[in-house]
Amino acid sequence: MDPTARFPGAATRAQVEGVPRIQQDAFFCGPTAIAMVMQWAGSDIQQDQIAELAFSPRAKGTYQADMIGSSRRLGQLAVEISTFDQLLTEVAAGHPVIVFQNLGLGIAPVWHYGVVTGYDLERDAVYLNSGQEDQMVLPFDLFQRTWQRAGNWALVVLPPDDLPVSVAEARVLSAAAALERVGQLRAAETLYQTGAKQWPDSWLWQFGLGNALYAQGDLRDARAALRRARAIAPDVPEILSNLAHVEAELGG
Amino acid sequence: MGILGISKKGVALVLTTQLLFATQTATMAQAEMLATENAIDKYATHADRGYLMDALQRDDVQAAMIEEGVDPAEAEARLAALSDAEVEALVVQMQNDTAGADIVGTLFTVFVILLVTDILCFTRIFNFTRCVR
Repeated sequence: MDPTARFPGAATRAQVEGVPRIQQDAFFCGPTAIAMVMQWAGSDIQQDQIAELAFSPRAKGTYQADMIGSSRRLGQLAVEISTFDQLLTEVAAGHPVIVFQNLGLGIAPVWHYGVVTGYDLERDAVYLNSGQEDQMVLPFDLFQRTWQRAGNWALVVLPPDDLPVSVAEARVLSAAAALERVGQLRAAETLYQTGAKQWPDSWLWQFGLGNALYAQGDLRDARAALRRARAIAPDVPEILSNLAHVEAELGG
Repeated sequence: MGILGISKKGVALVLTTQLLFATQTATMAQAEMLATENAIDKYATHADRGYLMDALQRDDVQAAMIEEGVDPAEAEARLAALSDAEVEALVVQMQNDTAGADIVGTLFTVFVILLVTDILCFTRIFNFTRCVR
């Protein structure tokens, strides 16, 4: 593959600064990958804390679904991506991306999570933090093979005030609702606010914000958010119903 | 006519109206806030359509997770963090045994093969191999 020809629209090179290289404990590449991206975002969480939420002892590894679930339970925006273009776009925007790879063969798979921290089209290199102290450097071809063998699974894990750039609005909305679902209400509130600024004509952000504020007991701000939702979309029954509910609780 | 000049019919009417109003207010206050997730499913275009799973299916997955060695309360918390579609994906991942773990988890018998495939740029198992493109 000639990377420059294959990705004509992409920035020639990109490197996300400050992603720590953490030496993984045995079998903990999943928790380590999440720890790396969360520490990059300012957290001081450790891999063993994440392992409690994500690791499966019998399988001696971490399932992709639990990578998503544990990130959410830790208050992060977690959204899957699946194309090489999305991957390069996120990295070029300054976001490290967790990738799932089969570093071995179909017949003898070696499943592994790494974090893509950069790439260089001209040097034909994809840079990963991979649970070892040295950086892993793969040519584009090889990276693609290992990634494709693992179903092209990748996860963008970000703090809730930083939006992914290669993902449709509805997917980010779902990630926000998922934060509500696990009770990470403050994080959900932040994400709804961030989304509302990015997509001001979309009532669902104000609606979600209203619900997240209500769930935290902040009725006045919840009412304000729902009123903003209603101003954007006056006829949506869900908005009217929730607004009526909040207003009733506030005593009209 | 009573002392206040109100007929029995009039009183009945007032009482009924008050009761109706009270019931409505009580119903409104008791009605649940409608969840954001359902609104997204309904109104957002291109949203992941929820694959609907019933409680029994989730129980099965929870049992499987406990067999995996996950503490029961923790298994419940992990499942609660996932949508039905994501739980379905987890089932597939568990069935296919694709849990990411370690670079150094390889069978000795395929050691030589993997050394060769590393050199040929098909795999990346060993740190010391350099790939010939």
